[in-house]
Amino acid sequence: MLRKEQNDLLTQTGPGTPMGRMFRSYWIPALLAEELPENDCPPVRVKLLSERLIAFRDTQGRYGLVDEFCAHRGVSLWFARNEDCGLRCSYHGWKYDVTGQCVEVPSEPEASGFANKIKLRSYPLVERGGVLWTYMGPPETQPPLPEWEFITVPPKQTFSSKRLQESNWLQAMEGGIDSSHVSFLHRGDLNSDPLFKGAKGNQYNLSDARPVFEVVESPGGLYIGARRNAENGQYYWRITQWVIPSFTMIAPRGNHSVHGHFWIPIDDENCWTWSFDYHPTRELTPTEVGAMRDGKGIHVRYVPGTFRPLANKDNDYMIDRAAQKAGRTFSGVEGIAMQDASLQESMGPIVDRMKENLVSTDNGIIMARHRLLRAVKAFIDKGTMPPGIDVAHQKVRSAAIVLPPDVPFTEGARDALLARPAVAPASV
Amino acid sequence: MNSAAEARFRVQAPNSKPRAITVVALDADGERVVRDISSGGWQNARFFTSLSPDGTLIGIAGTNITLTDEVEASDLVVLVAGPGGRADLAPRIGEACSAKRVMTTGFVVGAAGVSDTELSKTLAQLRPWSLMVVIANNDEYIADMMAALRA
Repeated sequence: MLRKEQNDLLTQTGPGTPMGRMFRSYWIPALLAEELPENDCPPVRVKLLSERLIAFRDTQGRYGLVDEFCAHRGVSLWFARNEDCGLRCSYHGWKYDVTGQCVEVPSEPEASGFANKIKLRSYPLVERGGVLWTYMGPPETQPPLPEWEFITVPPKQTFSSKRLQESNWLQAMEGGIDSSHVSFLHRGDLNSDPLFKGAKGNQYNLSDARPVFEVVESPGGLYIGARRNAENGQYYWRITQWVIPSFTMIAPRGNHSVHGHFWIPIDDENCWTWSFDYHPTRELTPTEVGAMRDGKGIHVRYVPGTFRPLANKDNDYMIDRAAQKAGRTFSGVEGIAMQDASLQESMGPIVDRMKENLVSTDNGIIMARHRLLRAVKAFIDKGTMPPGIDVAHQKVRSAAIVLPPDVPFTEGARDALLARPAVAPASV
Repeated sequence: MNSAAEARFRVQAPNSKPRAITVVALDADGERVVRDISSGGWQNARFFTSLSPDGTLIGIAGTNITLTDEVEASDLVVLVAGPGGRADLAPRIGEACSAKRVMTTGFVVGAAGVSDTELSKTLAQLRPWSLMVVIANNDEYIADMMAALRA
């Protein structure tokens, strides 16, 4: 349970809100680089943290992310012409560069300097690992560029996708660290999904549907360990990383790629679910990338031309009651991503946490809220930099590992929980 | 059916009854934390500082009760201990909870900066009897958890 004022504090991320200000202290994923595939390509609408923006790539390959609307009459620059190092409004020809600076107002004498007085709000937009990242906070506190391992490995070792999720970011993120749902909601997928099946660890999962959880604070957020019995009195641990505010990395399986998510608010009732798969030491195979593009693993298939999942609330997520009854899927919804999203969206745009009844195994969620509330309070009251900005907090990995019974997993998996170039992930 | 407009039509009737939470300190570190949080005005929680050899839980408010009776009435037993392996009471309380199928959560407090060896000793005592283990860097977390569980 969260009090209403706490729920409002964590779920509202518009300009000027405490959580919105904290989100604006991070580099966040804004677009896939493939959305702006070439110089002078069509601009793309982007809504982030309740601000409507337009992204474009100019004649020289520079990326811009600026206020969507022309300063003249408020026309959307999505209709603009992307030409000669700027976006030219289709209405009266006002033109803006990638910094949002107006560089031309055709109706005014050039010598008047009027264009210099017009500037749209803009944010930096930088390509890292096939993702375009933006920083929407004050320029004077802009942090170093992100160093998440999935964007620092060679391009053929990583794959990212995004999908529209029609719910507030917090309930989506909480779903990502709610480890106890896996044994139920996703139980049909461990042995069938091409990006999961075949790992020895799956057998530990399937033979023990009631793992014991251990939640430990990490420098950047939390380690959430799920423990199951292994051979010879040892424990099989699956350790998830959560880094403040909304990064998670799920424990790997066998030699499959490692995957995780970001949840980035679009507005208070929608968010982008970013999903990545990468392998620290090998290229992803064409079969793996094909499966990801086909919506397997944590990815989805789309309504053509959009990032809205093909299975969505308007078609009841294509629920298959026969598959549910036969046990092929637990909820009747196909695919891990949409199994999660369907239930998280069903809670309503912003779930009323006054009505929930958490239990002890929800401690990962409870502690994540605790850490978020502490971080936002310290950030607003004292200007304390929140966890997750320090690139050391970003150089982390999840792990699957077998350890003796009395060993703290933070000790037994100490090295495994750090991103180390060219070192294979700890996986079972 | 999950639009903002539809969300207004959720049934507003209460959907749960209060749960009883028992909080037991297993060592001196645990007792310090349990005493601190016990003054929080909780409606559904009872706090104990130790367990006597005859099986009586020693209550902070001077209300002692047998372990068996307390566990019988509890929905969740929270075991609180510091690092260093002084949580010797864990098996007796854990066995009582196991016999009654009562959920247990083990808390390691004061763990920030301690050695892995010291932490390991307490984990070895708590893990066999805890269905959830939490290692928090600050003691305020237990109170937040109890509020989240409607204690």
